[in-house]
Amino acid sequence: MKRNYVMYVAVIISACFLMLTLGGCACFRETAVKEEAVVKPAATPEKKVEAPKAAPAPAVKKVDEKALAEEKARREKLMAEATAFEDVYFEFDRYDLKPSARTKLDKLSAWLQKNEDFNINVEGHCDERGTLEYNLALGERRAQAAKDYLVNLGVDPARINTISYGEEMPVDPAHNEEAWARNRRDHFIVFPTTWEK
Amino acid sequence: MRNRPIVILLVFVLVLWTQHAWGKVYIDIDSPAFQKFPIAIQDFKNLHASGDDIGLSSWFADELGQVIDITGFFRVITRGAFLENAERSGISAAETDFRDWRAIGSDFLVKGGFAKDETKLTVEIRLFDVVEGRLIAGKRYTGTPEDKKTIIVKFAEEILLALTGERGVYNTRIAFVGRKGQISEIYTIRFDGSDLKRVTDYKSLTLIPRWAPDGSRLSLTSYIKNNPDSYILNLRNLQRSNLTNFRGLNMAHSWSPDGKKILMTLSKDGNEEIYSMNIQTKKLERLTNDPAIDVSPCWSPDGSKIVFVSSRSGSPQIFVMDSGGRNIRRITFEGSYNTSPVWSPKGGKIAYEGATDGTFQLFLIEEDGSGLMQLTFEDGGCEAPAWSPDGRYLSFISGKGGMKKVCIINSNGLNLRVLGGTELMDSLKNPSWSPQLD
Repeated sequence: MKRNYVMYVAVIISACFLMLTLGGCACFRETAVKEEAVVKPAATPEKKVEAPKAAPAPAVKKVDEKALAEEKARREKLMAEATAFEDVYFEFDRYDLKPSARTKLDKLSAWLQKNEDFNINVEGHCDERGTLEYNLALGERRAQAAKDYLVNLGVDPARINTISYGEEMPVDPAHNEEAWARNRRDHFIVFPTTWEK
Repeated sequence: MRNRPIVILLVFVLVLWTQHAWGKVYIDIDSPAFQKFPIAIQDFKNLHASGDDIGLSSWFADELGQVIDITGFFRVITRGAFLENAERSGISAAETDFRDWRAIGSDFLVKGGFAKDETKLTVEIRLFDVVEGRLIAGKRYTGTPEDKKTIIVKFAEEILLALTGERGVYNTRIAFVGRKGQISEIYTIRFDGSDLKRVTDYKSLTLIPRWAPDGSRLSLTSYIKNNPDSYILNLRNLQRSNLTNFRGLNMAHSWSPDGKKILMTLSKDGNEEIYSMNIQTKKLERLTNDPAIDVSPCWSPDGSKIVFVSSRSGSPQIFVMDSGGRNIRRITFEGSYNTSPVWSPKGGKIAYEGATDGTFQLFLIEEDGSGLMQLTFEDGGCEAPAWSPDGRYLSFISGKGGMKKVCIINSNGLNLRVLGGTELMDSLKNPSWSPQLD
């Protein structure tokens, strides 16, 4: 399951995008997905081409246009929120959560508890310094730190998956303090579990 | 393989015996004070004197010079300095005026001759002690013209055997992670920087290649299935088999000397711990039990001990324990970030990477924590050391100029060279040195 989440998110996003284009409604322009979902992760992102299949369904069925539009809007709004959670940052060789990270996680926890049809994948990342292997372990710790915090706040641990990418997926490939600070992070992928494709 | 040291010793004894206690072999070539052997290599004589193959005379000399130069043990004297007339001298000791070679500061001299026709190549090569004016090693090789490079490498091994007691690592390869964009694959390359091969094509993140002691397989960690799982790659057919796919981290680090077990880091039990896995039965034995990070285990060459990294004292440091996980002791106390320990195949020394003055450099330390020595002082830093099977070299990653490349250094800290042939990748990581590949 957890390993399919990328596909799943991609399908949803593509579906939303197609609906948007077909409907021609300008009001949704803001909700176009940011890099968050597109960037992720290395494993064969090309497969996403199947996605449009899902989209034509509402148009063909001609059920309740208004309800459909509302549902569409609701999903757009939720997806926009789900993809807007910011990364939390760590000090070098540390995995304890800073106050700023806790504040972000408090919001995330509240949102997850309100939207139980979403699960979350927490990715732990490191800067390029130090050992590949130690950094994989450190990334694991960083992801686990966020998970533990969310669980303490009441999020069901079954909804949280963690994965470490160590130093392998920097957001900033530069070799300086600024880049390193941005790369020592937890990144969150919040995705719906119950929406049909 | 197990008989190898004995064989070498025998040859060694024979060399000593037949050549009246050849003194140079006692020079410690791994010492930082080692002075490179000055050696002259004369153009090989065309014994057929047929007039063609003019280029071949200097090709043999040049090639042999390059092949022995990469060992870092020789200073090859340029031919412009030679005094002896190659036309008039022969390739035997009797036909050589050693005074001409002493005069240019050469301790050793290589002379060779060849005879070549369409299908057959015969090459005779001799190594002389210039000071004593005497033959040290001589060999005749017969093959086809295509064998010329092989012949040169074979004689380079003879030279190394005579002067250092071992044949060198010409038939070894280095595996490493090569990164292009968001994808990393595993590559291998020969010790001399030739014959680059990509051995995975997973279009994912694939990391931590580690050679099996028989050289036929690599263990690795890959995100092919969107989780860092461990695999074994058969290098003969490039088939991949699953090793572990527990929830969380699965890292295979070090094959036991007998090839039966593999040391792993797994986080399946809540945090990163070190396990020993029997490859046949997949049975796991947990070796560490600490809430801190425990990672990067490596066997001692006799399999009785394990060196690893733990953050149990607050920062990552190097620890040693018995192979069963008992008797854990910290061996590094300098610096606040010491990782990637690798045990010399010759025992005793452990190489690792440590933070110092804002960069990472390579260090050597004895297994009891004594004898700490900084090996590298590179601006761009040095990471991820891996020993050659003879314990005379370390390969590692250097970040000079922002580009991470595979480099090799002699274990005395001299003769750093960048391994060529890897220009197609954005960055390289995590080298592992093969055993002797026969």
